[in-house]
Parts: sequence; C-alpha cells; structure tokens
Amino acid sequence: MDTIRIIIEEHRLLGFRQITKLAKSDLVKKYRGAALGWAWALVKPAVRIFVFWFAFSIGMKGGKPINGYPWILWLIAGFLPWFYMQEMISGGAGCIRKHKHLVTKMRFPVSTIPTFSSLSSLYIHWVLLAAAIIIFACTGHFPDKYYLQIPFYMLLMFVFFTVWALGGGLLAALSKDFQNLVKSIQTAIFWLSGVMYDVNKINNHTIRVILKFNPITVIASGYRKVFIYKEWFWEDKTELLCFSVTLLAFCILAIWAFRRLRKEVPDVL
Amino acid sequence: MDNEKDIAIRFDHVTKEYKLYKNDKARFKGLFNKKIPYKTNKAVNDLSFTVRRGDAVSLIGRNGAGKSTILKIITGVTFPTSGTVEVNGKISALLELSAGFDKEFTGRENIYLKCELMGMSQEEIKAVEPDIVAFADLGEYIDQPLRAYSSGMKSRLGFAISVNVQPDILIVDEALSVGDRKFRKKCKERVREIMADETVTLLFVTHSLDAAKDFCKRGIVLERGKKLFDGEIDEAIEFYDAREE
Repeated sequence: MDTIRIIIEEHRLLGFRQITKLAKSDLVKKYRGAALGWAWALVKPAVRIFVFWFAFSIGMKGGKPINGYPWILWLIAGFLPWFYMQEMISGGAGCIRKHKHLVTKMRFPVSTIPTFSSLSSLYIHWVLLAAAIIIFACTGHFPDKYYLQIPFYMLLMFVFFTVWALGGGLLAALSKDFQNLVKSIQTAIFWLSGVMYDVNKINNHTIRVILKFNPITVIASGYRKVFIYKEWFWEDKTELLCFSVTLLAFCILAIWAFRRLRKEVPDVL
Repeated sequence: MDNEKDIAIRFDHVTKEYKLYKNDKARFKGLFNKKIPYKTNKAVNDLSFTVRRGDAVSLIGRNGAGKSTILKIITGVTFPTSGTVEVNGKISALLELSAGFDKEFTGRENIYLKCELMGMSQEEIKAVEPDIVAFADLGEYIDQPLRAYSSGMKSRLGFAISVNVQPDILIVDEALSVGDRKFRKKCKERVREIMADETVTLLFVTHSLDAAKDFCKRGIVLERGKKLFDGEIDEAIEFYDAREE
C-alpha cells in the first residue's frame, strides 16, 4: 500500500500539466528531423497493414469478408490498437533506460516516466484512431452507438501498458538481458494473440481461454467489437475476467519492482 | 543545543554500499536469489554528522572519498543502504547544472519544469521567474527550445535557477566555473550574497582548498567514506595537507 501511495504522490508532484508536456516532448523528439516528420506516424502503420493484407488476401487467397465487412477493414480494426501495444511492449521496457538522465543526475519522480512514455504513444494512437474512423466512414460505415466503447478499451489498454512499462522498465533498467528477452518474444506475443485471427473461432476450448489471458487479444477483439462485430464489452465475461487477472498480476509485478528496485536503479544505470 | 528546527542536514550512521556483481546477468539473478555472490564497496561507511542551519561546511577529500555519494544522498538521487538521513529545507544543487532539462522545452518552460520538481507552487515560481531570466541573461533565447542552446548557455540557465529559487540548502560542487569570466564573477558574487543570508546552509565540495577557505568555516575531511576530521576549516585543511604528504 505504501508503494502505491508513493507512486501517486510522485505523480502529484510532477503534475498533470508537466506529464502531458513531457509526453509531447517525447513525441516531438521521435519525429523531428525526419524529412517526412509526422507523416511517419501514419506511413509505417499503413505499410504494415498493406503487407499483411497482400500476404493473406492476395498471396494466400484468404481474407474473406467478416460480418459483412471487407477483410482489410477487419485487419485495420485489430491493428489499430496493436500499433500502440507493439510500441509499448519494447518501448515500455526501455522507457527508464531511455530517460536515465532523469534517474541518475537528479531527484526525479521515477514512477512518472512510464506514464508520460505511455501517454506519448497514446497520442499517436489517437491520430491512428481518427484515421481509422475516417476510413470506415469513407467506405460507408459510419460511427454508431458501439463506438461509445472506444474510451473503455482505450483506458484498459493504457492502464495495462503503463503498469507494464513501470515493472518492465525497472527490470530492463537493471538488466539488458531482460530488455533483449522482451524484444525477442514480441513476435511470439503477436502471433499468440488475437490480432491476426479471431480467437473465438478456435475449436479447442482450453486454448481459447488461455489466449484470452493475453491482454492483446482482449484489446484487439475489443476494437473489433466496436468496428466490426457490433457487440458490447459485457457480452463476453470470460474475456474481461481473464484480462483482470492478467492486469492484477502485472500490477503486483510493477509494485514489487518499484519497491525493490527504485533505490537500486540509480546506482546501476 | 541540537534544536530540531536548527538542523539542516543530519547523517546518522549512514552507510552506502554498492553491490558489485560479476556481471549484469549475476545482478539480475541476484534479484531473485540472495545466494548469488557479490562484492561490496562501501562508498560511505558509517558516517555521522550534523549541519546546522546557516552553517557553511566544506567536504574535503581525494577522489573516491565519498564526497559525490554524500551529495547524491543529500539531493535524493541515490539512497543509503543503512542509517538515516534527515534533510530539512529546499535544496538547490550547483552540480549537474543542465540535468533534468528537456531539450524540446523552451528555457522558460524548463524553469517551470525544474522548479515544479523542487516542489514549488505556481505562484512561487512566477515570483522568481523574472530573477532567473534576468540572471541567466540569455536574451531572446529564453523562449527558444533548449536544443538551440550552447552547453554554456544551458549551464547558465541551470545556475540561474539554482541560485534564484531561494534555497535553504545550497550545494556547490566546483561548479563555479560556468561560462565566461564575467558570468563566473557574477556567480561567485551571487553565492556570496546567498551566503550572507544566515539561514542558508552551504555545503561545499572542491579540490581547491583556497575556495573552501573562502566560503566555509567548517571542514570535514573524508577518506574512503569515513570521517577523519571535523572542525575549523583551517585545521581541517592542515590535517588534510599533513595526510597527503
């Protein structure tokens, strides 16, 4: 409990305004200097979606329409949150190392580093979300009442990956091995999630449930409920339960890491 | 005589141990398994001292005596392994002058960032902002992002913030050599001005014993994290010189 209090206290010290400003600054640092600048935030995801669409739809002759939506729209709906999550898996693990000058040179509320790093990725997510809504609207699928769930799934996603960045970031600050481990299993996490396929179509019940413990599955399927399936979030209770369990586990990891490592990290980095 | 309110800094049997593992892998394993072997290096070894409000104390010692570690503990960057540390009042440190600046923020925005990190309220910051801007003397650059600054300009801004936030405790680590001669002179004068205020505590770390004599009345001689001498600055310097020979 004390650890949670310290974390909250640290966020209060830095303040909402500074946190959002640091997030923005992180973003600017990432895209400034590139000739295409901000466009990269859109180009990279677009290329990725095109490649997957080409491979699966043209190459493997798969990709039939789903629920009356062209397969590419189904792909976009799932990839939309994945771009944020992908950035946060490795970026979250690297966030404290990246800002090590704040840890080793001065007194700084270290637990806020994951928060503004995560927020910075969320800004990009908003841009992509707007793009996705426009694409859907252009193809004749206008926002409806299911779109009201977007903030809910976005919040789940943001909370989970910010918590991850706190625990993972501290562990990775201590050990480069951990950071490399995270990077190397990122592809595995992707293919074992429901981004590229619908988990509910898997026949084996056990595998279906296990995959739902992967928060990426829940988030990606959540965004698809909004855009494609037109379902409400409370309809699949297993999904929410599995997500909560994983989230709780990662909260415990983050709190443990913070209590155990906060005082060690400045000496090691 | 040790009235609680009069104490600016108190170290009570403080030890700072650095764990030295064979490599990073061993360190990571050590997180989960206490049996993983490691060597320890005591940068600060069972150190106790008290600095009263208004004191000017110089920490004297060779490289590796533990001076920087002590300063890092006081400023809250690093944490003691055992013992208790008490620090009362707003600390301003003239070390790592450009630490904590964000290069995408303007000079002015960085003033706010740093002051907020010190725990100052918006009103307090607004009150000292003109002093900082005037002292740093950066002209139009104050509203430019920091990436446009030279390293000297960054240091000037850092110095200007540190000396104008009305600190209770001022920590100086040979940082008086900032910028050109004119600015250096201004800095020295400003530190003296702060020192004239009898409620401000000064902690001075330097290799230059003349400067220590100039600013401080008391000296603490350190060696390998232990306190060897604590007393009048003249005697401390004499003691240190004798040991060096």
